[in-house]
Amino acid sequence: MNRIANFLTGRLLSARWSSALAVLLLAGVAEAQGKRWGPMPPASDYGYRFSELFWLITTLCTISFAIVVILIAIPMLRDRDRKGHKAKYDHGSALHDKRLTAVISVITFVVLDAWVLVIAMRDLREAYWNVPEVDEPGVYQVEVLAQQWAWNFRAAGEDGEFGTADDILETNHLTVPEGRSVSFQLTSKDVIHSLFLPEMRMKRDVNPGAINEAWFKPIQSGEFTILCAELCGYAHYQMHGHVTVLPEAEFDAWEAGASQLAAAGYDPEDEEAHWAWDWEQ
Amino acid sequence: MSGDHIHPEPTNFFRKHVFSGDHKVIAKQFLWFGLIWLGIGGLMAMMIRWQLANPGEAFPVLGPMLFPRTDGVLDPATYNTLFTMHGTIMIFLGLTPLMIGALGNWCIPLMIGARDMIFPTLNMLSFWTVFLGGVVGFISLFVPLGATEAGWTGYPTLSTTVGGVGMGETLWAVAVFLIGASSIMGGINYMTTVIRLRAPGMSWQRLPLTVWGIFLTSVLNVLFIPVIGSAMLMLILDRVFGTTFFVPASIMQGAGGGDPILYQHLFWIFGHPEVYILILPAWGIIGDMLSFFARKPAFGYRAQVGAMVAVTLLSAVVYGHHMFTTGMSAMLGESFMLLTMIISVPAEILFFSWLHTLWKGNLRLTTPMLFSIGVIFVFGLGGLTGIYLATIGTDIFLHDTYFVVGHFHLTMAASALFATFGGIYFWFPKMFAREMNPFLGKLHFWLTFVPLVAVFCIMFAMGYAGMPRRYYDHTSAEYLVSLQHMNKAATHAAFLLGAAQLIFAFNFIKSRWFGKPATQNPWQVGTLDWTMETPVPYYNFKEIPTVHTGPHEFSHPDLPEGQDWIYMTERIGASS
Repeated sequence: MNRIANFLTGRLLSARWSSALAVLLLAGVAEAQGKRWGPMPPASDYGYRFSELFWLITTLCTISFAIVVILIAIPMLRDRDRKGHKAKYDHGSALHDKRLTAVISVITFVVLDAWVLVIAMRDLREAYWNVPEVDEPGVYQVEVLAQQWAWNFRAAGEDGEFGTADDILETNHLTVPEGRSVSFQLTSKDVIHSLFLPEMRMKRDVNPGAINEAWFKPIQSGEFTILCAELCGYAHYQMHGHVTVLPEAEFDAWEAGASQLAAAGYDPEDEEAHWAWDWEQ
Repeated sequence: MSGDHIHPEPTNFFRKHVFSGDHKVIAKQFLWFGLIWLGIGGLMAMMIRWQLANPGEAFPVLGPMLFPRTDGVLDPATYNTLFTMHGTIMIFLGLTPLMIGALGNWCIPLMIGARDMIFPTLNMLSFWTVFLGGVVGFISLFVPLGATEAGWTGYPTLSTTVGGVGMGETLWAVAVFLIGASSIMGGINYMTTVIRLRAPGMSWQRLPLTVWGIFLTSVLNVLFIPVIGSAMLMLILDRVFGTTFFVPASIMQGAGGGDPILYQHLFWIFGHPEVYILILPAWGIIGDMLSFFARKPAFGYRAQVGAMVAVTLLSAVVYGHHMFTTGMSAMLGESFMLLTMIISVPAEILFFSWLHTLWKGNLRLTTPMLFSIGVIFVFGLGGLTGIYLATIGTDIFLHDTYFVVGHFHLTMAASALFATFGGIYFWFPKMFAREMNPFLGKLHFWLTFVPLVAVFCIMFAMGYAGMPRRYYDHTSAEYLVSLQHMNKAATHAAFLLGAAQLIFAFNFIKSRWFGKPATQNPWQVGTLDWTMETPVPYYNFKEIPTVHTGPHEFSHPDLPEGQDWIYMTERIGASS
């Protein structure tokens, strides 16, 4: 018994097993047809947490829903109205009915909700909302100013100070180093936007009049997607861009070049471009 | 009190059919009004689906007539207007009038044994206010500077003058305000009627579950519609009079200093109960219907009522789960996550009771029964997918993707719609004294059920893949191009679903005028609404009935041989 229980908790219900299977299956079908059925593989260090939790919930929900469907199907097939057949007269108000209702509700709550809740709280505190401290070494800081309909990114450049001549400015494109935490502070010029990096499993609303925070740590280099996830008007659907993740050495070279270029082209008269704020905590 | 004496029936055409105080006439007014808007909202859904599957192609047949400027092609502004109005119409002008206006008005007095609502004039005013709201909403589509484009949620600052959406946004807010006012009037009327006008013997423990559902919905309406009313007023002030409730100082050159997040709080304090405003009557209706057609008492009646009351209470404290990505603190997020998940306990009790009602019954799979079982199925799918969205870990990715669209359509739209259809099929013989065609009814059910589940399950896959909602064209971003095949599949299913509704329209209209005359109690059900003759006389009950039996006494062992039901006005064992 113990071994079976261990197997179940260790393998089957950890969801890695089922998620791996489902992902493989879907990926196989999609690969065969050049179509996609799921998200692109995660490219941030906390990205795996989404798939793991998603497939855990899916496993639990599939089991629950299968039970519901079976309990609908059996009476529909077995207890149909026919001559001589009578329904059982039962109000379900006896003590044992109440006990059964209570027990099943509690079991479902613990299995279906409490389990998921505990994992989600862990993920939240360890990953998603665990924004790096301001003095944490190695964090790459990016200020984001969203507008209808573009993403403006600002990195501090070589001097590490925001609002100086060597700030690196990019629009609808962001370059970040692989293996370092990227920390965002975000605000908007006009309406609410939402910075959505699907491969990084990151999403955060960008509100006008306030600064929001988000972070991720890319673990693989390449080109990734930026989308806007909050309706922001006419061209909402076109408010997309790319994140380029460069390996550490390559990134350092790029940063130095871009920073110097920015300093060389700095125009003190250009008020529009001077939207930086002091990095807040 | 108005319910105590018999009114003379008005003879004047306007007092009889237009400005009537009779709850049965008002119910029918709400019914036609809701069905027409359901059709318009459904057509909008078809256009949305067409555009998503075939971006930039002209909408066939109707397109060139509706959008002559672009030769039938939807431009992004029109597309935004369509999904905004689709949501607004379906919720406020389709389902609310049908479920609460039509079925609520019809059922409450008849099921509790009253001659009318307690405030007939307020009832009339409630209909004409929602009618006015509908007119204003319709006009908002045609104002010169553009219709509303900010989504049914109307988030500022997009919906203020900062966002640059059309002037129709102001009219949209006025319309929502008016419709809300109508709901408050209805809510006060329903609550008072249920509390004051129950027939002798109709104790709270004998109240049909349908009435319980509508009663609790009325409580929510009266408590929470004022909140969205205030939000709409503030939005109108921001748009028209230059106040800055929702516009932060940073984008007003230092003036003002409001907060757009304030609106989200106000909207969702109302918006989450709104989900239950639509679903509670549905739960009530199917709680009754499953018992009626399983010929078996409703399992755990008290538990079901208790669960509905618990959901009513909890609905007020979970709204934060709509705002997980706005930047709330971890503590607040976790609290809302936990509170949201607690709702699964009463929901679980309801499911358990419904399934147990079916178990060992004597099932008559009539059209209303099929729709009721359909509610268990779609609400099961919708409710379980709610776990993904209540869990912040998965919600961060799934928020504002098609996963959410699939979830809320199954939970509140499809469940409420199925219960409404079930209710219409069920009460039609009493309402119009004619029967609907049962074959077409069942055909309508299956051709609605299968594509509907298909459409919204495909949307789960889309959302899981990361496809954002409210996008005019998903092929514009590289990441989404390889998902376009799902858009196509969903659209095919959606058009089947839309076409199936023509069967209902045909059946409804044909049966209304040419259907087989209905008998007094075609479903063999014991609640008070089936005790009076068909068509129902103006004053409903010649004598206010006295209730002796519960609403679900089916297959009682003491009933005479060959009869498995009894009127609530009769005593078990007394008749034979």
